[in-house]
Amino acid sequence: MLTKILAFAYRNWIFAKRNFFAFTEIVFWPFVSLVGIGLMSNFLDLKGDVTNFILTGAIAGGVLQVTQLDVSYGLLYDIWSKSIKHTFLAPVRPYHYVLGSWCIGMIRGSVVFIMLFIFSYFAFGFTLPSVGMTLIFVSGIYLNALLIGMMVCFLVLLYGQRVEVTAWSLATLAMLVSGIYYPVSYLPGSVAAISQFIPLTFFLEHFRSGYGFTPLFSYTLVKGYALLAAYILVFFWLLQYAFARARKTGMILRLSE
Amino acid sequence: MDEYAVVVKSVSKTFSSGFLRRKYTQALKGVDLQVRRGEMFGVLGPNGAGKTTLLNILSTQLVPDSGEVHILGRKLRGSLAGDQLDLKSRMNMCSGNPNFPWSMTVREILTFYAMLYGVCGLQCEETTRECMGMLDLEEYANRRYDVLSTGTKQKLALAKALLNNPEVLFLDEPTIGLDPDIAARTRKLIRDIHEQKKITILVTTHYMREAEELCERIAFIKGGVVRATGTSADLKTMTNAKDLEEVFLELAH
Repeated sequence: MLTKILAFAYRNWIFAKRNFFAFTEIVFWPFVSLVGIGLMSNFLDLKGDVTNFILTGAIAGGVLQVTQLDVSYGLLYDIWSKSIKHTFLAPVRPYHYVLGSWCIGMIRGSVVFIMLFIFSYFAFGFTLPSVGMTLIFVSGIYLNALLIGMMVCFLVLLYGQRVEVTAWSLATLAMLVSGIYYPVSYLPGSVAAISQFIPLTFFLEHFRSGYGFTPLFSYTLVKGYALLAAYILVFFWLLQYAFARARKTGMILRLSE
Repeated sequence: MDEYAVVVKSVSKTFSSGFLRRKYTQALKGVDLQVRRGEMFGVLGPNGAGKTTLLNILSTQLVPDSGEVHILGRKLRGSLAGDQLDLKSRMNMCSGNPNFPWSMTVREILTFYAMLYGVCGLQCEETTRECMGMLDLEEYANRRYDVLSTGTKQKLALAKALLNNPEVLFLDEPTIGLDPDIAARTRKLIRDIHEQKKITILVTTHYMREAEELCERIAFIKGGVVRATGTSADLKTMTNAKDLEEVFLELAH
């Protein structure tokens, strides 16, 4: 079992170190976002913990996007190289696919987190509340990224390459609804209600409580982890279903042409 | 049933396409087939006959709408249950016009696929080296897939198909698009693999010469139906033809 998971990690690792676009995903986009937000906070003359509040969003966004992209790439690399049928021919299960890619996603996500933290510390005076809270927060982002990546894989197996754009848009949408730069109370009523079903909301709330902001919800971590556990289990099952359905409809073969 | 490596019973498959998926194409219409253990069996037929669909069903990449498929004595169920994964680990497939991740080298591609079959560590290194050796791929070991010639890509596809030491090997038009000399060399490789490994090979082709040269028995398929099965001599007798080309023309029209 471990060998099959490592196989996908091995492939994602090769892609990550060999493709220029994978490098820009780590270095370019997260920095562009962070610098933009940091300069805006300087312009608005935001102080101390409010700056930390905003920059937390920029850092979390970068880590989430990079980590979930790797999970999505597990499937998309196969589709882009039209080699998906070779992979489906092998005795692998969806969790091999997803977990192997996620391993590399977490490594790339950690690199992004460390780089963004160091940069924002020196450039904008960003600080972390505590090591424990940071570890919980980052682990929450990784799990959220796993979930989003699984959603992308599910949709692509169901609807084909025309929905591959979800690999870049789904995480952005999740960030928007979970209050990435603002408390979710600022969202319109119905959207604010939806935010309570997104686990990322609770991890952001919990982390920001370390800067002295009162959380809008109680039991943030319990709710966050419970939602993650439920969604991840459901999506493992859905991926299994999507694998089986793709065999029935011929989607695997269409994606290999 | 133990005598047979592959048994296909009344297998049908229809694809839907177009707006609201209401356009239907019946690719296979009740196909029956039996391939003996250790046999090199050919599925011959014109373009669009259903050869590739059949092979995709046998290699578990498609699930038939009806009918049954038994491979190595086990029924294919289209699920990811343990016994089905075990069955998948005992077979492999190679297609013509193969595609692999473009930025990986030959060695990396073989390592990745070997790992998917659960081969790891030193055994993985040994297996990839052995497969590269068998197909003369050592000099290309560190070359990226996107710079390989068409013939080398085909060899790589064959090497990948041998990584798990399969008991049943499916070859889908393995020489399509190859120059005549490379196609002849590929056929020789397939014959050598069959002789050395004594595995069951099911090969689809629309080249008569290939079918005659490689296969002990041939099934002629057209319009999703098996029109005739037998040795090339049987098929010639059946259709009063001088060669397989005439058999093809007779059965294809």
